[in-house]
Amino acid sequence: MKKYALYPGCVMSTEQYAYEMSVRESLPLLGVELIDLQGFSCCGEPLKSVNQLLTLYLSARNLAIAEKQKLDVFAPCAMCHLALSECKWVLGKNADMKKRMNEMLATEDLKYEGTSKLVHTVDLLHDHIGIEEIKKHVTKPLKGVKLATHYGCHIIRPSEIGRPVDSEHPMKMERILEALGAETAEYPEKLDCCGALLQINLDESALTKSGQKLKAVQEHGFDGLVDVCPWCHKMFDARQTKAGETVAAKLDLPVFYLTQLLGLAFGIDKKKLGLELNLSPVDNIKLGGK
Amino acid sequence: MSNKLGVFVCHCGINISSTVDVDQLVKYASNLDGVVVSKDYKYMCSDIGANLIKDSIKKYKLDGVVIACCSPRMHEHTFRGVVETGGVNAFNLEIANIREQCSWAHDDKERATEKAEALVRGAVAKARLLEPLEAAKIKVTPEALVIGGGIAGIQASLDLADGGHKVYLVEKTPSIGGRMAQLDKTFPTLDCSSCILTPKMMEVANHPDIELLSYSEVVGVEGSVGNYKIRIKKKPRYVDVEKCTGCGDCVEACRLKDRITSEFNMGMGKRSAIYIPFPQAIPLKCTVDPDHCLMLTRGKCGTGPLCVEACEADAIDFKQKEEEVEIDVGAIVVTTGYDVLDPSSLYEYGYARSNDVITTLEMERLISSSGPTGGEILCPSSGEKPKSITFILCVGSRDETECNWCCRIGCMSALKQVYLLKEKLGNDVEINVCYTDIRSFGKGYEEFYRKIRGMKTNFFRGRPSEVRNAKDHLSIDIFDTTTNKLFEITTDLVVLVPALVPRADADEFARVLHVSQSGDGFFLEAHPKLRPMDTFTGGIFIAGCCQGPKDIQDTVSMASGAASRAATILSKNELEAEPQVACVDEDACSACGVCISVCTYNAIELVKEDDGKSHAKVDEALCKGCGACVGACPSGAMQQRGFKDKQILPMVEETI
Repeated sequence: MKKYALYPGCVMSTEQYAYEMSVRESLPLLGVELIDLQGFSCCGEPLKSVNQLLTLYLSARNLAIAEKQKLDVFAPCAMCHLALSECKWVLGKNADMKKRMNEMLATEDLKYEGTSKLVHTVDLLHDHIGIEEIKKHVTKPLKGVKLATHYGCHIIRPSEIGRPVDSEHPMKMERILEALGAETAEYPEKLDCCGALLQINLDESALTKSGQKLKAVQEHGFDGLVDVCPWCHKMFDARQTKAGETVAAKLDLPVFYLTQLLGLAFGIDKKKLGLELNLSPVDNIKLGGK
Repeated sequence: MSNKLGVFVCHCGINISSTVDVDQLVKYASNLDGVVVSKDYKYMCSDIGANLIKDSIKKYKLDGVVIACCSPRMHEHTFRGVVETGGVNAFNLEIANIREQCSWAHDDKERATEKAEALVRGAVAKARLLEPLEAAKIKVTPEALVIGGGIAGIQASLDLADGGHKVYLVEKTPSIGGRMAQLDKTFPTLDCSSCILTPKMMEVANHPDIELLSYSEVVGVEGSVGNYKIRIKKKPRYVDVEKCTGCGDCVEACRLKDRITSEFNMGMGKRSAIYIPFPQAIPLKCTVDPDHCLMLTRGKCGTGPLCVEACEADAIDFKQKEEEVEIDVGAIVVTTGYDVLDPSSLYEYGYARSNDVITTLEMERLISSSGPTGGEILCPSSGEKPKSITFILCVGSRDETECNWCCRIGCMSALKQVYLLKEKLGNDVEINVCYTDIRSFGKGYEEFYRKIRGMKTNFFRGRPSEVRNAKDHLSIDIFDTTTNKLFEITTDLVVLVPALVPRADADEFARVLHVSQSGDGFFLEAHPKLRPMDTFTGGIFIAGCCQGPKDIQDTVSMASGAASRAATILSKNELEAEPQVACVDEDACSACGVCISVCTYNAIELVKEDDGKSHAKVDEALCKGCGACVGACPSGAMQQRGFKDKQILPMVEETI
């Protein structure tokens, strides 16, 4: 069993429970042991525009907590993953900043060295576990469904700090879904924004972005949309009806977390994967047998 | 051994004197062992400075000279000439570099002066032990090799041959002409490219002093300036060029007619398996494509090869084999050109996703009347005339993720195509140009740009984020930084202007030639300003885009320049060899052969004397004086003249 400290972040553990449930159910089948650590705080990303130093400190602190237990970190939330990645990148280049961080961390008897590796759902599945290993566990292939992918901005950019997938032509989710037996296809709007980050000050624009993308996916004839970020999922799943109203479209597109589909293909019960919590019409398509 | 040395300290304006106390240094040097005179001057490299040295040599009967000045890379050559005319052997000169290695690097005057004293002390110690050297004479082979038959190679070959030198022109593909042959018209004068190129190609073909080796590759370069031995691989055309008349009957007859992607048309058209790349090809001979011809890939072509049947001259010969020839030349001009970046690597621009996203060279073939559509502009996907065409400039150029450099021809070639498209399609077509900056730097270029700006063309300053496939068109989002507005362009055909990159085999070929490459992969010139056509390898010159992107004008100038540089070698009967080369103490040599294994110039061999004892021997014409063997020799038998252990070690000791 390969061990990872699970860094849950705030969105997944306060409202997007389905992501966490499906992660905790499906990944152990692939030989991943998820360890919960005491003391994790906010990743810092939401504070970045206000106080960059604090963002860096919070990320470094979380990484240091995992480092103390000699564990690699698994951050399923794309936004948390970005904050932690950026922290590793900055402290890897800037020795003075690293020293300053360690002075602050010393009050809690923590130390950041940068030894813990960091993974997101997509690279954990695609690069560390591997497509062949995933295929071995598929008992109920997702036959006859054509799925669109949505990667979300945080795991594709900025490429210079190292992201889990290619910034212009990401294909890892497609490879995973194909391993689960589903059909995938390219579509022009694939990299379009979900709108989530506009919610605070421009909610109308946020819903327009989501609505336009969902409408396009539906028009291209996909049976469903798959994502890996709790922010994106919230827009596409929970706010789908509203997004549809904003762009004057009737939307009924099932939206899944990648790990939910992983669990379904592995034969895990729908309830355990939190499918009941999805607000989009996920029952429109038959998946994983009954 | 010298015991009457003169030390000459240069101020280099204030470059040295502002950080080093020259008066103190002169006084200090005069007290060193063996120094009989010590002087300073503001510019030692000036005529007055040179005379100061020459007069001192006479007056004080000097037998060795130390000059404390700039790096020997700058003026060693100059000063060797000065001391030689003054009456001292050129190699009894030692330079103490007190500019780059002292005054420029420091600002504490006292300590810098101290360091300058140490450098002069070391140089004087070495100068006391230097021996006079005589340069050996090398005979020059008065013939030249030009590699690459594009416009640069054609120009260089003609210049050299017109100057009376025999030239071997080696071209990898079946025909000379290169990239310029693929172009329709040239900017900014709109000259028809093939109309101005073809006469030059014909001249090459008919010149009595040019031997054209087409469909051939240089695979080995050995020797050194004045005497290179070249191995050339002649690929089999499977056509007897003596018999072939270039009539093209076989091309028409081929079973695979119009089924093989044409390289000359940049993949926009089809050809046969036996082909002539373009109508004006030189030599106008057919070539069988070994990767596609059924006879060559499967050994069988239907009931029998139709080309053989069609050929009245009986020229086709499937039994031809690859040949290797060896030639001797005195100098080499490398004109191997460039590749175009494959824009598939920039996924966002859609080259890999849509047939209607093409490159400038592909557009050039569409515009050309000898191209796949006979000069009609048609969208590759639909075969219909485009109503809107959008150019995207700087694709991969000036981009840290691909190529940092500017391609230097992108702006102008796009503007030229805008003009030609307007001419062909009239005002029925809307043309958009997405640019970063328009760089119209050459003679007549800015005027041409102004003309295009007045031609109802939409210019957007910015780089599109993406080229997106829509139902029956392409859509582009572009943020125009001159108006701070986001535009959505709907278009039928997108033309990418891709970066120019080194040839795919540039790394490999640089090793064959023993030339260096710059960080971008292009071949490196010896000096960016003053020796732009030279390489660091004597007798090998570069011209055209193998050195870096440039337009036809600059390429032709550079090719003529390189030819004239090569002629400076070829027009001499003999050259002086570098005397500071390796030499062997035969008694101390154990013939272990370590030196041979480290020598990259094949300059060392083992020889057996009559008494049965073996030792290493250096071919002084081949030795470059790199010193690798000297460092590798376990017994100290290998020494380098001018840098012998007994000269270097006392110098080091004195300096520190």
